[in-house]
Amino acid sequence: MFWGKRLGSVALALLGCLILQRVGLGLNSYFQTMLVLAGVYVTLSVSLNLINGITGQFSIGHAAFYMIGAYSAGVLARAFYVPLDKSLYSPLNNGFQGLVQSISPGFTCQLQPLMWLIGVMIAGAIFAAVAGFVVGLPSLRLKGDYLAIVTMGFGEIVSIIVRNQEPLGKSYGLEIKPTIPSIFLTWLLAVVCIAVCRNLLKNVHGLSFLAVREDEVASSAMGVNVTRVKVAAFVLGSAFAGAAGAIYAHSLGFVSPTNFSMDISFIILTMVILGGSGSITGATVAAVVLFYIPEWLRDLKTIPMAGFVGAIFATIMVVALVKRTLDGFQEKGRKTAMIFASIGAGIVMTIALRFALKGVTGLEGSIDGNKLRFVVLAAILVILMLLRPQGIFAHHEFSWKWVKGLFKKKTAVSA
Amino acid sequence: MDFSTHFVAAFELTTLPQQLINGLLNGAIYALIALGYTMVYGVLKLINFAHGEVFMLGAYGALFVSWKLGYQPDGNAPPPSLMALVLMLLGAMLICTIVAFFIERFAYRPMRNQPRIASLITAIGLSLLLQYAGQIFLLNGTPQTIQAEKISPFSGNVVLNLRGADQSRLAEAEKLKPAWDAAVAEFKARMPLEPGGEFNLSQEGERLHTKQGDAERAYKAALNDGNAGVMKIEVPKGQVVLFTITIILMAVLTYLVMFTKQGRAMRAVSHDFNAASLMGINIDSIITFTFLLGSALAGAGAMMYCTFIPGTKIDSFLGLAPGIKAFTAAVLGGIGNIPGAVLGGLVMGVAEYLVVWAGYDSYRDAIAFLILIVVLLFRPGGLLGSAKVEKV
Amino acid sequence: MSQHVAVVPQENLVETELSLLRLDKATIKFGGLIAVNQVSFELQKGDLFGLIGPNGAGKTTCFNLITGMYEPTSGVITFRGRKLNGTRPDKIASLGICRTFQNIRLFSALSCLENVMVGAYLRHKTSLFSALTDIPPAIKETQALKDEAMHWLSVVDLAHEASRRSADLPYGSQRRLEIARALATQPALLLLDEPAAGMNPLEKEDLLLCVRKIRDEHDKTVLVIEHDMKFVMNLCEKIMVLDHGEEIAYGPPSEVRSNPKVIEAYLGEAV
Repeated sequence: MFWGKRLGSVALALLGCLILQRVGLGLNSYFQTMLVLAGVYVTLSVSLNLINGITGQFSIGHAAFYMIGAYSAGVLARAFYVPLDKSLYSPLNNGFQGLVQSISPGFTCQLQPLMWLIGVMIAGAIFAAVAGFVVGLPSLRLKGDYLAIVTMGFGEIVSIIVRNQEPLGKSYGLEIKPTIPSIFLTWLLAVVCIAVCRNLLKNVHGLSFLAVREDEVASSAMGVNVTRVKVAAFVLGSAFAGAAGAIYAHSLGFVSPTNFSMDISFIILTMVILGGSGSITGATVAAVVLFYIPEWLRDLKTIPMAGFVGAIFATIMVVALVKRTLDGFQEKGRKTAMIFASIGAGIVMTIALRFALKGVTGLEGSIDGNKLRFVVLAAILVILMLLRPQGIFAHHEFSWKWVKGLFKKKTAVSA
Repeated sequence: MDFSTHFVAAFELTTLPQQLINGLLNGAIYALIALGYTMVYGVLKLINFAHGEVFMLGAYGALFVSWKLGYQPDGNAPPPSLMALVLMLLGAMLICTIVAFFIERFAYRPMRNQPRIASLITAIGLSLLLQYAGQIFLLNGTPQTIQAEKISPFSGNVVLNLRGADQSRLAEAEKLKPAWDAAVAEFKARMPLEPGGEFNLSQEGERLHTKQGDAERAYKAALNDGNAGVMKIEVPKGQVVLFTITIILMAVLTYLVMFTKQGRAMRAVSHDFNAASLMGINIDSIITFTFLLGSALAGAGAMMYCTFIPGTKIDSFLGLAPGIKAFTAAVLGGIGNIPGAVLGGLVMGVAEYLVVWAGYDSYRDAIAFLILIVVLLFRPGGLLGSAKVEKV
Repeated sequence: MSQHVAVVPQENLVETELSLLRLDKATIKFGGLIAVNQVSFELQKGDLFGLIGPNGAGKTTCFNLITGMYEPTSGVITFRGRKLNGTRPDKIASLGICRTFQNIRLFSALSCLENVMVGAYLRHKTSLFSALTDIPPAIKETQALKDEAMHWLSVVDLAHEASRRSADLPYGSQRRLEIARALATQPALLLLDEPAAGMNPLEKEDLLLCVRKIRDEHDKTVLVIEHDMKFVMNLCEKIMVLDHGEEIAYGPPSEVRSNPKVIEAYLGEAV
């Protein structure tokens, strides 16, 4: 019974990823990259959620582990990967190749691209896990904001070191050949990451992680080895980020320090917090949404300045109204009605202001949507903290029970 | 081998005093910004991530005031005046105070009853928001420079000679000079007689050429030897003014915190938030006061940073690096501790220039993080603070 | 010389079959402050031992020393003949000492059942890997620990609140939940830090019975810190009084009650 169910769900996951791969192959290369990146971000967000949300270790340097995974994949590929189909191969030299050849002359690694990708994923995960272990150690002595600063500092130091190393391509970056974009593997990794976190939370082991988040002193008094739990969370979380980095590197064929800057750490952090710290469902959904919004803004090449300014005023008004509503009204129905009313008013206000402000001097220009990406992300972060600090999903998880409950309610209403 | 020669070459002792002074001057600005971090942490126990952005807005404030006064990058500028500098300083401080008021009132105050992590996230979000919104609204993100040389009446350097040249070697060089001149003249006179031109000298020509080269080498060697020991410190006069203003501001702050009613209330709040409110202190007004005070100092720091440190380009990410370094300074000195912030700032500045002096320019920004991590791990209370033991 | 040695002479402090916990001149200094000064006592198996004293007497610090939150500056603490100095708190918990906290420290976002399960987690045997892959041994173990946690919840009369968030419980129930959580680690020695604080007389009565039941039916040794004299005198068989980190009295309740030093410590110097 158990194994039947388990094998079934594994098969379902594999099938789902394969279908995604089939669908992706039918699309153009832009959408393929988007699909890969979305999977990468889901992995990153869920793995940071393990460290931040579940274990409560406020880490804001997740991009560093991602970077370590990506660069280890890049270096390994340049040092000794030769694809089976040699027509794809064009040697790219760097310091590491010389190093490898001096240790074992003539050593190359000839593998199926997919097998190589899996190998490199594991290697990236191992390298990142080692780094995660190193960062996990300070977490034993530090808490909250101090730990946040140290993880951020660690991320910056990794980035500065990479920028100064000739074999790592300095600020320019590393080219990796051949590119092996695999939607299948990317999403399989994401699914594995989600499954691991879900399994953990279902188990009594997971409770020890949550206990460390809630109260370290009390959990150690209850016999939870706080050290072990924290380091385990850091190692696991960073290993997944490292694997995601390896996949990223091989799908884009290029890595540079700007792909892993502090901003990326903040994006991942925003995903975790928007979803609801500790909620795997939240981390997943938020990753997809927050990955999509910037891409959408990138497509909107020119946004009229007047509309943008209007949207700012409207947002401020809506936030103020919703905040008042949340603080003031007790009745649930009226609360919801008020919130929807204020959001509606906000939309109307945006449109109205867009036209009203059209003639105003200084507002006739337009803005490149690309520049707005971080403004929108940061605004989401601040507004969320003001209105719903526990995140959209708070600590709730998606479950079939919940879906069934939803249908039952619907049928009850219709009947 | 390679490494050791590099190492020895890098430790050029003669430039050390200059770099130390540079470090101190820069450190004074870090100290000003660090005071803001430390005071806000003291009363709110919040790392105000947006402090660096307040600093950035202060820099823009100073820039816009200077433009309003007519010191545009192009066109005619009024003569340099001290008044303009004072106005810029006040403008920057004012802008920072206003911005800080809004940040405190509308972002931090609603978060006060939430877990500390929530306020920290708000701070991070605000910091990002100000950076990227600044990129759109502040001159389209084009970097600008304050026309310091047109504004500042303080030009030239203050020079301090620590160790003069080796006079005997210089005298020797003087003696060698005529020999070199003679050799040059001799070779010049010979040149028209050379059939093959400069690149195909005859034997005689070759001899004169070598002689000229030898004489030149001997002279230059003596000259270099004589000057090698010169150790002097050159400080632009503007930076001396900067340091003075910094000291004055810190003195004013010390007075405010130690000897006024508001300051006493501030210290009470930072000591025990709840007890202070029970004693009838208006917590809200004290927090606002602290915020504004810290931000005004950041504004002053921003104005001086952009005016007196040559080549500073103002853009919306200006606050990032000084912010991090000042924060490190605050932690280094013991966060929440006002003298600690000043000490930490100075140490931070010196440490940074020592890294430059040792030849690792590209790691200049890493040193802040390194110090930060080491301090937090091994002495989380900082130099002057004491670590708190958690009560069970 | 502390008075305690007069009551229980040094040679009586040898390991016996019954001896469970022994403090031998345990001392801790914070900077210049001596929080606990040369405190010695011994707990026998099955004891109901009370530790009382005015505020700041060093009672909770004693608990922190025993549970490894602080390390003693000098002196030796032994549990079942094993030296505890420098042992990590979680290790001490696994040896069989568990505590509650004066200022309730529940895992507030977790449900009552989950809180108690964290206590039961101490006896998990499956590896983290099996938990991450969610294979039958891990599932079975979780179920077993859940059942066990339910059992302890019913011991403190909280079974009906199992799925409620622990932070939403009333104060008295939170204190009992803390006891259940500590019991779930199956300690030989249970340390209760002011279990009756903030309870009304009725709740205190219940708690008294509950603690007695735990001692008698579940074969535990209990060390209690309490302010409420009546509660302690009714509950405990032996009492030690601390003041300014030092022991000032030791003995059965009736003796301690009439000790002039104790009266002085509580009521101030006699005129």
